[in-house]
Amino acid sequence: MNRFFSIKLSFSLLPEFLLISGLVVLYFYRYEAGGWFFPLTALAAGTYAIVRFFLSILTRARFYSRMQDVLSTINEFKKGKFSTASNSGQTGKGPFSSLMSELSVMGKHLENILSTQKTEISNLRELYHNIVLSISSFFIALDEKEEIIFANESFCKKFQYELEDIVGKKIDTIFIFLTSTIRESIKRVLQGHEAVVLEKTHLVSANKISIIADIKLTTMVVKGRTQVIFVIDDVTAICKKDFQINLISQVSESIQRDDEIDSVLHAILIGVTSGSGLGFNRAMLFLANPRDKALKGKMAVGPDTMEEAIKIWSSVSECGVDIYSQLKSYNENKEGGGKLIEKVQTSSFSLKDEANIFVRALNSQEHIHVYDAYNDERVSEEIRGFMEVREFVVTPLVSVNKSLGVIVADNRFNQTPIGYDNIELLSIFAFQAALLIESYNNLHMIKKEMGKIRDRQEAMVESEKLAAVGRIASHIAHEIRNPLVTMGGYARRIVQLARDVPKTGESIAKAATVVLKESERLEKTLSNVMDFSRASHFIMEFNNINEVISDTYELLKNLFQERRLKVDLKLDDGIPLVKSDFNQMKQVMLNLFQNAIDATPPEGTVTVATGANGDRITVSVKDSGLGMADDDIHRIFEPFYSTKVTGVGLGLSIVKKIITDHNGEVSVTSKKDGGSEFLINLPIPK
Amino acid sequence: MSKILIVEDEQHQRELYAMELQEEGYQVDQASNGKEAVELVKNNKYDLVVLDIRMPEMDGIEALGKILSRDKKIPIIIYTAYSNYKSNFMTWTADAYITKSSNLGELKEKIAEILASRSK
Repeated sequence: MNRFFSIKLSFSLLPEFLLISGLVVLYFYRYEAGGWFFPLTALAAGTYAIVRFFLSILTRARFYSRMQDVLSTINEFKKGKFSTASNSGQTGKGPFSSLMSELSVMGKHLENILSTQKTEISNLRELYHNIVLSISSFFIALDEKEEIIFANESFCKKFQYELEDIVGKKIDTIFIFLTSTIRESIKRVLQGHEAVVLEKTHLVSANKISIIADIKLTTMVVKGRTQVIFVIDDVTAICKKDFQINLISQVSESIQRDDEIDSVLHAILIGVTSGSGLGFNRAMLFLANPRDKALKGKMAVGPDTMEEAIKIWSSVSECGVDIYSQLKSYNENKEGGGKLIEKVQTSSFSLKDEANIFVRALNSQEHIHVYDAYNDERVSEEIRGFMEVREFVVTPLVSVNKSLGVIVADNRFNQTPIGYDNIELLSIFAFQAALLIESYNNLHMIKKEMGKIRDRQEAMVESEKLAAVGRIASHIAHEIRNPLVTMGGYARRIVQLARDVPKTGESIAKAATVVLKESERLEKTLSNVMDFSRASHFIMEFNNINEVISDTYELLKNLFQERRLKVDLKLDDGIPLVKSDFNQMKQVMLNLFQNAIDATPPEGTVTVATGANGDRITVSVKDSGLGMADDDIHRIFEPFYSTKVTGVGLGLSIVKKIITDHNGEVSVTSKKDGGSEFLINLPIPK
Repeated sequence: MSKILIVEDEQHQRELYAMELQEEGYQVDQASNGKEAVELVKNNKYDLVVLDIRMPEMDGIEALGKILSRDKKIPIIIYTAYSNYKSNFMTWTADAYITKSSNLGELKEKIAEILASRSK
């Protein structure tokens, strides 16, 4: 700065210095020169002025030119060009040079900052580009008319389109299968709604490529126009894994929930075809029937037409993975039709037909993948006609080395090739299904066995009850029998002794006889009780039950007449002999007859019928009495239960015990005012 | 003359049997429980014993064992108001099992039958 001023000072005061020093010189020399002094002085002054003037012009011109340089440099700066300043400011001296050099330094700094920023920006750009490339998301942009204006490379690659082929086309000509949710979402974002995210949505393109995708819909305003941006993430693989696990657990659950094997099998097939884009289009189940030596169509799940398929898929994808809601929506959408189910259920293939590809898969216990049925020798004309599809897969249901059947699956409608992962899924599923069928069968068997055990247990409880009753009865009988035989014994003695008594003897004997007879009657009742509780020692012979009935009827003939009852014997002469104890059977019939006699009012009818039914013979004893109340029916076979005023209540329980001991069954039906019918069945020996 | 021992706790019954059997021509001794019966058997020789089951002090089943351990050949008829002891193996060592009845006919027949077979 000091140097700048010193230079400027010396330069600007030079003319003044020259002028004043000239004048001083002139002043001292004016007398010697005489008359020329003044003009010379004037000339010198004029010259000075002129010189001064030109000098000043020169100086200004130089200033402006330098100023121009500075301004142009600043202008260059304004334009963002910092490098020019550094070039022009290199030459010359003076204050402007300094200024220019300062500007040049500044320019260099700015240049540096700018270039650093440029590098950063380009780095960032590269980074973003890489990110976009490395993620598998698909982008498409639509205009307000839902026509495609852009699609990224990965989108085109995935759905096998050329960009120019799809630009300008409407979205629903690209995706043949757009759920209502997607349509609504497009409308919503166009109406200014914020981004919409649709998870696990099924997309099927016009060229039959189907995926499960997470879709993000947003809008972007480009040049005053709204665009809808689709960001599509293919989550098919992830979904498949989740789906598989879910499915298996759900099918396992269904076996616990449902008693019917059919609904379990149906759930399995729904599982194979469900998840719209995940599963197969159609699945058919055939089960081996060893008895008929045939592989029989059991059930099928799948649409009959493409339209139906789309309808089912669009409703299914709304309800996710839950088999039950899928099943429900499937059934709701399955209007009439059901040609597939009908076709499958009426089909049957002989297990001996080794040429049949289904039978072959069953026997080899390995899946068979047919790529081109029409050119594959393994596929017979019959199967070609049955499947009506080029590619399908047959998977056996194998459980513990036993083939139970096959599941046949295809993608008839979306024509998607059957991938290894699909077959894997189907195999795992078939294996699970086989285990489920097997465990269902086992469960069924266990239930049956449990039933048997329960019956046996009940029988044991009953026999235990009877044994206890027997002990009590025997004790009571003992207590009664003792005084009874004393009374009866002495009465008998009185009868004998009275014979020797004159006059009154006869009437004494008569009176004592009454006592005797009554005590004998009581004794008989007691004997019946004892017969009941006594351990049974049967003499098993082949007896004709008709004979037992006739014998018993002969015994009671008088009683029937006495009560004015009609007896109708409808005995089937053709009934086979049954292994039984004649006397025990007679006891049964005696008790049933007695029961009928007691229940029927005079003039009534007792009907006894015999017959054979399969491996059992039946005996029916029917009265036209008053019938029984429900309560009585349930308890009628219990010991000591009686509806009669004068009964001990053991008659029918004796019947039950004897019949049960003979491996038979006894039951009763009764109508109020319509009489009762006792039904006995006994096994016919093989 | 055959000698019969009647073992019965019910006095009236016992006397009735004694009277009826004496009329049939037998010599009859009476015991009112098992203990008495065992004592009598110890000191006397009987051709047959009619034994009740339920008695105080010593019941017929126990007495049966004790009498038989003293004299294996003595015929014993169990005569009881219980019908179900017939299936009890403890009574199988007796020669006969008859359920009591006001009619002594069955008992008398059985006694005659057994004595006849023994006298052969």
